Amino acid sequence: MGRYVIRRLLWTVLVVLVVTLLTFVVFYVMPPGNPSVRFAGKQPTPELIAQVEKQLGLDRSLPEQYAHFLRRLFLGDGTECPLVYRPLCSIESVENFVVLDTGGCATGVSGCGWPGLGMSFDSRTAVRQELIERTPRTLSLIFGAAVIWLVVGVSIGVISALKRRTIWDRLAMGFALFGISAPVFWLGLVALWIFTVKLPFSDSLGTGYVEFGNDPVGWFTHLILPWTVLALLYAAFYARMTRGNLIDTMGEDYIRTARAKGLPERRVIFKHGLRASLTPIVTMFGLDVALLVGGAVITETVFNIQGLGNYAVQSAVSADLPAMTGVVVIVAFAVAFMNLVVDIVYAYLDPRVRYS
Amino acid sequence: MLALSLLLALGAAGCGGDDGGDEAGTEASEGVDEGAEPGGTFRTQTDAFEWTGNFDPTGEYLATFLGLYQNLLGRTLMGYNHVPDAEGNELIPDLAEAEPEISEDGLTYTFTLREGVMWGPPLDRAVTAQDVEYAFRRIATPALVAQYGFYYLGVIKGLQEYSDAGGLTEDPEGETPIEGITVQDERTIQFDLEAPTGDFLYRIAMPAAGPIPEEVAKCFLTAGEYGRFVISSGPYMIEGSDQLDITSCDTMQAISGFNPNQRLILERNPNYDPETDTPEARENFFDRFEMTLNTNAQDIFDRVRQGQLELAYASEPSEVVREYSTNADLEDRYQINSGDRTWYITMNLTQPPFDDIHVRKAANWIMDKEGLRRAWGGEPKGLIANHIVPDTMFNNNLEDYAPYATEGDAGNLEEAQNEMRQSKYDTDQDGMCDAPQCKGVLHVTRTTDVWANMAPIIEESFAKIGIELNTRQFEDSYTIIQTVKRQVPVSSTPGWGKDYADASTFMVLFDSRSILPEGNVNYSLVGLTPETAQELGATGTVEGITSVDDAIDSCNELMDEERLDCWQELDQQLMEEIVPWVPYLQGNADFVISDAVSKYVFDQASGDPAWAHLAIDQDLQQ
Repeated sequence: MGRYVIRRLLWTVLVVLVVTLLTFVVFYVMPPGNPSVRFAGKQPTPELIAQVEKQLGLDRSLPEQYAHFLRRLFLGDGTECPLVYRPLCSIESVENFVVLDTGGCATGVSGCGWPGLGMSFDSRTAVRQELIERTPRTLSLIFGAAVIWLVVGVSIGVISALKRRTIWDRLAMGFALFGISAPVFWLGLVALWIFTVKLPFSDSLGTGYVEFGNDPVGWFTHLILPWTVLALLYAAFYARMTRGNLIDTMGEDYIRTARAKGLPERRVIFKHGLRASLTPIVTMFGLDVALLVGGAVITETVFNIQGLGNYAVQSAVSADLPAMTGVVVIVAFAVAFMNLVVDIVYAYLDPRVRYS
Repeated sequence: MLALSLLLALGAAGCGGDDGGDEAGTEASEGVDEGAEPGGTFRTQTDAFEWTGNFDPTGEYLATFLGLYQNLLGRTLMGYNHVPDAEGNELIPDLAEAEPEISEDGLTYTFTLREGVMWGPPLDRAVTAQDVEYAFRRIATPALVAQYGFYYLGVIKGLQEYSDAGGLTEDPEGETPIEGITVQDERTIQFDLEAPTGDFLYRIAMPAAGPIPEEVAKCFLTAGEYGRFVISSGPYMIEGSDQLDITSCDTMQAISGFNPNQRLILERNPNYDPETDTPEARENFFDRFEMTLNTNAQDIFDRVRQGQLELAYASEPSEVVREYSTNADLEDRYQINSGDRTWYITMNLTQPPFDDIHVRKAANWIMDKEGLRRAWGGEPKGLIANHIVPDTMFNNNLEDYAPYATEGDAGNLEEAQNEMRQSKYDTDQDGMCDAPQCKGVLHVTRTTDVWANMAPIIEESFAKIGIELNTRQFEDSYTIIQTVKRQVPVSSTPGWGKDYADASTFMVLFDSRSILPEGNVNYSLVGLTPETAQELGATGTVEGITSVDDAIDSCNELMDEERLDCWQELDQQLMEEIVPWVPYLQGNADFVISDAVSKYVFDQASGDPAWAHLAIDQDLQQ
């Protein structure tokens, strides 16, 4: 298994590299305008634009820019990092702005380090630092929502499959239809309107993000609405999928055999039926979670959770190429990593799957 | 001194009182004054921080920054009282103890700094003339990308040369002095100009021209970096400033109260002495100021309504405008003032069919401006614009000037067709644009709601005179229309606001010397010559385009009423003889405030709330 994981991790690196190349081509080679113009003021003379290009590194050839990007990604920001964002150690002759390599410094105080993602064009802060600050927000949102949609979606799917053509089945599928049909932004706004405007919970259920470390209760109460809203769509999908899979599985020969052997129905359903029917759910779950790393834009925007998705949109609007690329790298890594996790879990769920 | 008096008078004259008052819904709000008490935290949220220079005074030009800096953080030699209407555009000595001495020829300005104005922590020393001079060195440093540099380079003697030599460097010993800036002593600084510049004091009042402490700023010689380390000379400072270790550059870590993507938190500057200021300029009621990001604009307004915020610093959704402008109970919570800005449709003089002045005039006649205003949210959003510079900046002298006035501002088909008949694009003289060039004319606009709502109105208006628009909405429509070689024929994207209360800040939009290949704001290409067109890759009708450069230069040399008259005449010339725009809205600055705001004043100079005069009733805060 160890060799398998290592091989897959190497593939993950390759996938991330390919994605970065594509991202670079899309954002750096084919932008609609020169991003430097935006940062050169109200009357951007060619001289000012040239100065900005130099500062942003856009004056280099495209292959140089990409090579530079890769070098930073693998070796860290190093001396590219502006003085103020560097670790405190190993800086000498600061008065003259001669700065030594920071490669050996401990990270922590600085936004720069490894992996190096460069400096935001827009805020002149280290993209890495922004991502470090925003990632916990997005992960908090995703994993809370994932727990809800998994528990609710699978439970509803199971009930619906086992109680076919009953009122429970119809109610469950009605819920699924609503969940799939209702746009997230609408659900979010309605939820906010009901729970923070019309009902007197506004302080505890409001928008924004509270750090878990500062206030665990506040963290939970501020996330419960976005979790629920984000989870509803996915729960609906998962309910329908679980239902369909479980119905198919329960018709299999080995289920009949299990029953014929006299196994209790609960054991037949959960050990033999549900386990087998969960395999495609796991695939879907892995990909959904990974894609949401950069894709929970609407939920993040409506609930003012300034996470990665929101950062990606903000960066796109302001032509902040390093920031966009940084988010893409994170998402690409998340997708590749979750694929690996899914494959490992597969082997556990399905005895036919081998790591070889 | 005389020159200053004249200039101050001009300031007063340049921006008259309320916006006329006769037109429904356009009267400026009177503000709120329910008994201001000191203390508390003033909380506001914005739906987007859009700093252009990362809050570095040298580079930043976002109006939000101008208002915050001038009210709360920084003292400039000349400043404002931060009040509405004409008075708000009048200059006052701020860091200077009095008005400057101005030589008879208008070329030399000498300022004396007030005693007792101190830098906030961690500096704890007096603000000096050297700090002011250092600010100009930064402006002239190309690497710092001073986005308002054009107001000073080539204006102050020797500044351009200093810039050409590279400006500030890592080796201060190698720098040359700036010929036109003389620090006479700790409190006296003299500026020598290349030529008389009627609005120089307005330029001196810009944050970029305010003092900057070298011992901190010298560590940041790349654009935008100093924005995380701004040291206060005003009544408030960025929270955490006192924690800044300025022992050397490497010990400095960004001040915690400011994150350009998330928050600006200010607290009182303990070194600020109210005796060095006036209550007319700054009252400084609240103890703490918080501006944070909320990506959900609707939520910002809900929070204001619930008393969780004191002010919404975001564009009001149309239902909010409707609610606050129609509910008498909420009337004083919706504050409307002239924003000194014009929204317009620009027509490219090189591109058919707009290379024909009669088509451009017909466009002005036919446009349903009232419809466009409705798309913005109706009367609270501003006056119908009939010319280029906002009325307030002309002391309402052109209030009745409307060369293309139509009933109900809904457009006049007959007048438009009369004009169109004179156009070469109306081949059969029926008042309709019927040449092939009239079909599928590219119209570039934005993707946001207001512009999406305006697009069908504009299309419909143009269609009445036979021009079929092909509307394309772009997220980055400014980039598209600012790139000359894209040759966009018509765009409803742009708007323009003053930098300060002088019409010159609008006329730059028609100066052929400001036509740039990228980032061009002379969208209509007024004054384009065939030579410049060739350089920029612009094709189309590039010959015979009238230039107003000489007129702009003439006006710039004048002062007082002559200057005002000159700009007014140029405005009229542009509207009648060149017709580059269809101006449709003189935009208001409108803000929703909570019940807890016990004092609200508008700052005409910045077009934002007068933060220095706002107060809160803490009992009403949630």
